[in-house]
Amino acid sequence: MAEAHPVGFQWVMEAKRRGATVIHVDPRFSRTSAMADLFVPLRAGTDIVFLGALISYVIENERYFRDYVVSYTNAPVILRDDYRDTEDLDGLFSGWQEEKGQYEGPTWRYESTEHKGEDSQQTPESHAERSAQMAGPKVKAHDTDFTLQHPRCVFQVLKRHFARYTPQMVEEACGISQEQFHKVAKHLCHNSGRERTTAFCYAVGWTQHSAGAQFIRAAAILQLLLGNIGRPGGGVMALRGHATIQGSTDIPTLFNLLPGYLPMPKAGTDKSLAEYLENYTARSGWWTEFPKYMISLLKAWFGDAATQNNDYCFDYLPKITGDHSHMTTVVNMADGDLDGYLVMGQNPVVGSPNAGLQRKGLRNLKWLVVRDFYLVETAEFWKDSPEHERGEVSAETIGTEVFFFPASTHVEKDGSFTQTQRVAQWHHEAIAPPADCRSELHFAYHLGKRLKELYANSSDPKDRPIQDLAWEYPVHDARDEPSAEAVLAEVNGYTVADRKPVDGYLKLKDDGSTACGCWIYSGIYAGGVNHAAKKNRATDHYGYGPEWGFAWPSNRHILYNRAAADPQGRPWSERKALVWWDEVKKEWTGYDTPDFMKTVPPDYRAAEDSQGTQTISGDDPFILHPDGKGWLFAPAGLQDGPMPTHYEPFESPVHNPLYGQQCNPVRLEYDRSDNQMAKPIADPRFPYVITTYRLTEHHTTGGMSRWLSWLAELQPGMFCEISPELAREKQLRNGDWAVVSTPRAEIETRVLVTERMRPIKLGRRTVHQIGMPYHWGNRGLVTGDSTNELLAFGADPNSTIQESKALIGDIRPGRRDHSKAITKEATNAPEEELRDLPIARHRPIGKHHVHAPSSKQGDQT
Amino acid sequence: MSESLPGFLQIPGGAQIPAANDDGRNVDLQTGALSGEGAGQKPPGSRQDVGLQSQIFPHVPSHQPCETPTYYGTPVLKQPVWHWPIAAYFYVGGVAGMSATLGSATQLFGGREMRSVVIKTRWIATTGALVSTGILVQDLGRPERFLNMLRVFKLTSPMSMGSWILSAFSSAAAAATVLPYGPRVFRSLAGIFGAIAGLLGLPLAAYTGVLIVQTAVPVWKNPLWSVLALCSSTAAAGSLLELLPLNAKESRTVEVFSLAGKIGEIVTANAIEKDAARIDRVARPFHRGFSGLLWQSAKVLLVSSAVIAIAPGRSPKKRIAAGLVGTAASVCMRFAYFLAGKRSARDPRATFEQQRQTPAITAGQI
Amino acid sequence: MANGFFTDTTVCIGCKACEVACKQWNQLPDDGYHFTGMSFDNTMHLGASTWRHVSFIERPVALNGSDTGFSWLMASDVCKHCARAGCLENCPTGAIMRTEFGSVYVQQDVCNGCGYCVSGCPFGVIDRNHDDGRAWKCTLCYDRQKDGLEPACAKACPTDSIQFGDVEELKERARKRVETLHEKGVKEAYLYGGDAASQPGTGGLNAFFLLVDKPEVYNLPPDPEVPTMRANQSWKSAGLAAIGVAALALVSALVGRTARG
Ligand SMILES: Nc1nc2c(c(=O)[nH]1)N[C@H]1C(S)=C(S)[C@@H](COP(=O)(O)OP(=O)(O)OC[C@H]3O[C@@H](n4cnc5c(=O)[nH]c(N)nc54)[C@H](O)[C@@H]3O)O[C@H]1N2
Ligand SMILES: Nc1nc2c(c(=O)[nH]1)N[C@H]1C(S)=C(S)[C@@H](COP(=O)(O)OP(=O)(O)OC[C@H]3O[C@@H](n4cnc5c(=O)[nH]c(N)nc54)[C@H](O)[C@@H]3O)O[C@H]1N2
Ligand code: SF4
Ligand code: SF4
Ligand code: SF4
Ligand code: SF4
Ligand code: SF4
Ligand SMILES: [Mo]
Repeated sequence: MAEAHPVGFQWVMEAKRRGATVIHVDPRFSRTSAMADLFVPLRAGTDIVFLGALISYVIENERYFRDYVVSYTNAPVILRDDYRDTEDLDGLFSGWQEEKGQYEGPTWRYESTEHKGEDSQQTPESHAERSAQMAGPKVKAHDTDFTLQHPRCVFQVLKRHFARYTPQMVEEACGISQEQFHKVAKHLCHNSGRERTTAFCYAVGWTQHSAGAQFIRAAAILQLLLGNIGRPGGGVMALRGHATIQGSTDIPTLFNLLPGYLPMPKAGTDKSLAEYLENYTARSGWWTEFPKYMISLLKAWFGDAATQNNDYCFDYLPKITGDHSHMTTVVNMADGDLDGYLVMGQNPVVGSPNAGLQRKGLRNLKWLVVRDFYLVETAEFWKDSPEHERGEVSAETIGTEVFFFPASTHVEKDGSFTQTQRVAQWHHEAIAPPADCRSELHFAYHLGKRLKELYANSSDPKDRPIQDLAWEYPVHDARDEPSAEAVLAEVNGYTVADRKPVDGYLKLKDDGSTACGCWIYSGIYAGGVNHAAKKNRATDHYGYGPEWGFAWPSNRHILYNRAAADPQGRPWSERKALVWWDEVKKEWTGYDTPDFMKTVPPDYRAAEDSQGTQTISGDDPFILHPDGKGWLFAPAGLQDGPMPTHYEPFESPVHNPLYGQQCNPVRLEYDRSDNQMAKPIADPRFPYVITTYRLTEHHTTGGMSRWLSWLAELQPGMFCEISPELAREKQLRNGDWAVVSTPRAEIETRVLVTERMRPIKLGRRTVHQIGMPYHWGNRGLVTGDSTNELLAFGADPNSTIQESKALIGDIRPGRRDHSKAITKEATNAPEEELRDLPIARHRPIGKHHVHAPSSKQGDQT
Repeated sequence: MSESLPGFLQIPGGAQIPAANDDGRNVDLQTGALSGEGAGQKPPGSRQDVGLQSQIFPHVPSHQPCETPTYYGTPVLKQPVWHWPIAAYFYVGGVAGMSATLGSATQLFGGREMRSVVIKTRWIATTGALVSTGILVQDLGRPERFLNMLRVFKLTSPMSMGSWILSAFSSAAAAATVLPYGPRVFRSLAGIFGAIAGLLGLPLAAYTGVLIVQTAVPVWKNPLWSVLALCSSTAAAGSLLELLPLNAKESRTVEVFSLAGKIGEIVTANAIEKDAARIDRVARPFHRGFSGLLWQSAKVLLVSSAVIAIAPGRSPKKRIAAGLVGTAASVCMRFAYFLAGKRSARDPRATFEQQRQTPAITAGQI
Repeated sequence: MANGFFTDTTVCIGCKACEVACKQWNQLPDDGYHFTGMSFDNTMHLGASTWRHVSFIERPVALNGSDTGFSWLMASDVCKHCARAGCLENCPTGAIMRTEFGSVYVQQDVCNGCGYCVSGCPFGVIDRNHDDGRAWKCTLCYDRQKDGLEPACAKACPTDSIQFGDVEELKERARKRVETLHEKGVKEAYLYGGDAASQPGTGGLNAFFLLVDKPEVYNLPPDPEVPTMRANQSWKSAGLAAIGVAALALVSALVGRTARG
């Protein structure tokens, strides 16, 4: 965190100053470890074993927050008797469909909860959809056992599931000594409960794995058991990436989401608005409000053209046909299925795995648009790349027409950043962009304008969406820069009749009388005031700074904060009071905006026939969940299981110590000749674990740092970090050149020999890890081989985030032969050695069968 | 390898992106102005990627290569920035100063037969002064920069003092030299100026010693360097005069003067080396590298020229021989301790060990 | 009243924001691109165009009171603005002055590039620009202080490792910080240049540091001394020698006179 979120890390230092214990779990000793009280090195990709063992420890030693667990989580809920655990099926859950390579069927459901729609585990695109699947009447009393004794209740199932995740197992799988493990466990338990809370911070060290989503789930389960969710100082915090990557998932750049986590309509199942609403509107919980948000969105986009009789132009929305995530799109490109590609503020040639395949994709396009400050590697792939070096391609042989648009920086335009904590902060144009540089908003707006002109007098019905699109935004200055604030006003929402901004999403209607660009942000422009621009340092009890920017939703700083009070609505403890029920005023109040219906008392109970938000009882803090409870066991929503399970990365030096199932069975694997893979287990050619990461001195692919000499001089060249032990083994001295190789490629790099890298001891076996920053490319002031040449396409099935934190490779002294082809000889493991032992999972994805379960390409964090 | 961006990047269609000017300041002069405190600084030449070519620390950072820690062996001090002409100046200035001193002494007590050597010393003093000023101006780059030296009169700064001394000395010496050729009325003044130059000659020869003592350089910290400077100047002036045609009386004077100087120089040099020897790292420059070579040869040459001088016989040849060897000795000596200083400053352990082993000797003084 | 820095290296996360903020504010050029292999330090030392420099020290032993089995010390070095400043006292032109803020400041329009300050600094801070030969170093953001702003480096420091303010107040705060660290078990914590008593050679530093290992480890001299302190001695011995030499001159003149011609 000190490395990649130095400014945010000041608060960790502040906490430390006030006596907090800081624990850092990481394969390598980083700047963060230097500040930590306890540093726990582990083998990359094994966190689920570690977290699972902590879960098991908390349960076995009865250290969980019982009252919280019993009343706020689904621990007491009883599961179906046909549910089978990975313990029973050697690493698989019940519902596995061998031929489809995915899970199906109802076996993960709560007993007796009726589910609507086809009983499939097909991953919901969104929170709304997930809840829809869980819809139906609320879990009935007789389906629960508040003593947590019933063998099929979630608590007992969870206990059995993690029973073999022991300190010994942690030692064997992660290389963490039992003594270290117990230290962490003690700190954790000592700092949880009524009086104290513990927070987990993670970022891409957890997400960039083939079971990444489950890493986070494991942390969430642990926090729920310890009662650390919805309470001050608790939580599982994603430290986000780019300045407003949070904003770009809220109002998404994702192929399968509409603003506010509404699912993108699917071809086939969502033919009409009625069908769509039927499919995704929950029967209980907050998502019963779904239609209001969807219809208001359509009104915002298509304005007066959107009427009840024409389904509010629902038909105009494109319908997705499958997986259109980044990597799948690129392989389709490589197979010649795509004509054009817009790259706005991205540098995939350096940032995305298997850079070679990435470039192959670009070479097979007809046209490419790049908007950036500099001619980054992606904009210049056609004139300089390893393929050029090796004489495999030349500018003449590449047909792609590249358009470069100079972009304006964040200080040259108005707009907002939404940070890690969901606080949207406005930034004002400090200086006009030079020359032809323009903002994204300018580009998008004027592109839309021109399209509208082009199609103005068309009578072809397929052009109606463009014609009817509401695209009126005031422009100013000589550049005709559209008003970002006008966009914010639309995002906030307004009443159609008088175009007055609404105060919040509670005001939205499903009758077309309101319009709203993104319901979760509603209120950010309440009263016509730009609340994101508020910069009042005035702080409050916990220093959340309620007058600083706007935290969606409704300026709430802690989600589900109803859980900070006990079922009767009293704070669990004075020390940790946050939100409570005011008996006198008969309303929820506290130090943060309550995340609950303001006047619904703690003792309110939903009835069988309750509708809408009335289905949420007074003691249901997790209001977005249809059952109002925190999910220790996820009955829906994940493709690879209701509970986290340890799987080895695609490529691993060891057998999965827990199950016969080596890797995540539903992982996204791109099994192609241009995406060579090592043997799944202990490939002798690639004995070492490689993990990749960032340096404080550079930003991601370097577009914002390798062109700035003050930053470039701080980390002037590509290097990798290895332990003195490995260095000795390989006769490498500090500062030497070395070649690192994987089946995809080999790159040259300096070596930094440091004791900060430690050989990992797994039982009698020692595993060496190679740490690699990924900031370099062949353009800019300082250049170097890109780490991503080495990585493979392959991803987590829930998020489609690539597995870039744990792979295997080799290292040897010397420099690479720039003319020699990348290790092409490396072929896929011979047939008899199936990629995945003992259960083979091939999910060929590429030309013309894009049948990967559609899933979202999130930002990495 | 990497290309630094041109001021303007032409893109088909006429679009232009102003790129930060590539002098390493990342200031786009289209939008920004160079007005910072450091803006006046001339950036190093090209901004090209040097390809990571600098020397690289070959050890594991956490394995200190030696028992007493340093920061990757990098220097703790900045080595003296002066170039070799300054060493030459140490010699020339010294010669000028001491010949003036000997000159005025002879002028007062030498009597009529020694007139010519007095004239010679004045000429040496004047020429020396001029050459010295030349060297300093060369080192500073521009003549007006030397005038800056006379901007203030600063007791704490030997260099300030030195500048004033040199200026005053040059004027006096010059006056003493030229006046005799001027109108009769002024002639008598020549003597007075000669005397003044003679007096100023002493501090002129001595201050370069004080100058190096007053630095952070370990090997230069010994106050005796000022004594060495003076003795070396005496020997040097003597040796130079020994090369000139002299009558019996004159050569006697010069020989005594020069021999005493040489003896004094050897004694102080040994005293300094002995004191430094207490800390091996501090003494190193006297034994290692070019500085070591020069230092040892200087001592040998000094001794030999002294021996020659003491040897019986009075032939001019012998005197000239002594003069030549003596001159070589002084020149070696100046360059020796000049380079020793640079070497010493580059060695962090010299600084560290010296400070560890001699706790602030002079703490609290002044 | 003097302003200065208290740099608490125990909270430095080595982000180098100070180094960059300084270069940006003062519009200094980069020093070229050199991979050094010295942990994460690729700029190595303070110089004419690097006025803040963050050093990285890797040690096989953990800090007392922490359980990391290893330690990575980071420290942001800067001009110390010494109470007795060698650079200032050596400067022959008066280019280096003590400002109203108690800082040591180089007037670029006066500096003549003699380089004497460079040898006068016992910390190897100030250096000459290779091009026009003038000497440069941290100005303690004189221009910003004039406008009532704190120095750019301190402003940029996310963890308050660099604390700017009145030196006396800072020293008070620093002593407290050392106490708390000792209580927390970090016995090795101490102040470097905290006062004249602990560093007589400089009379204390206006920019002082909280360190946890030998000064040498951070490339700081253990017992620095302003060279002026040896001036007296050397002038004295020079004086005595001068008298000797003067006498010698007279003697040799007399010897010559009495010599038979
Ligand atoms: N200075 C700087 N700041 C940045 C960025 C930058 O490029 N530079 N990028 C921004 C972006 S886009 C993002 S997404 C964030 C990312 O922020 P981080 O996630 O902090 O960035 P990384 O360094 O990629 O990964 C963090 C750590 O994960 C560790 N790690 C690797 N594998 C594992 C594993 O299996 N388990 C565990 N526990 N740890 C593992 C790595 O060693 C590394 O130290 O940073 C943002 N901030
Ligand atoms: N091996 C490995 N690979 C990784 C990761 C890893 O940890 N390991 N991390 C992954 C993660 S988390 C991420 S987020 C990606 C990042 O990968 P990318 O997003 O592809 O790389 P960036 O450098 O962040 O791209 C940002 C570009 O946008 C430009 N830019 C900045 N501001 C603007 C603007 O306002 N407008 C426009 N048009 N352009 C702008 C910058 O100059 C820069 O070139 O890398 C991923 N790749
Ligand atoms: S770069 Fe921006 S977002 Fe990243 S740590 Fe610094 S201030 Fe925060
Ligand atoms: S540290 Fe050096 S440069 Fe800075 S004031 Fe002290 S003597 Fe001068
Ligand atoms: S270089 Fe400039 S600042 Fe340094 S001593 Fe000479 S004149 Fe003074
Ligand atoms: S005080 Fe100003 S000049 Fe000095 S280091 Fe900090 S930023 Fe640079
Ligand atoms: S800014 Fe602060 S924390 Fe970052 S390196 Fe400088 S002193 Fe350390
Ligand atoms: Mo990211």
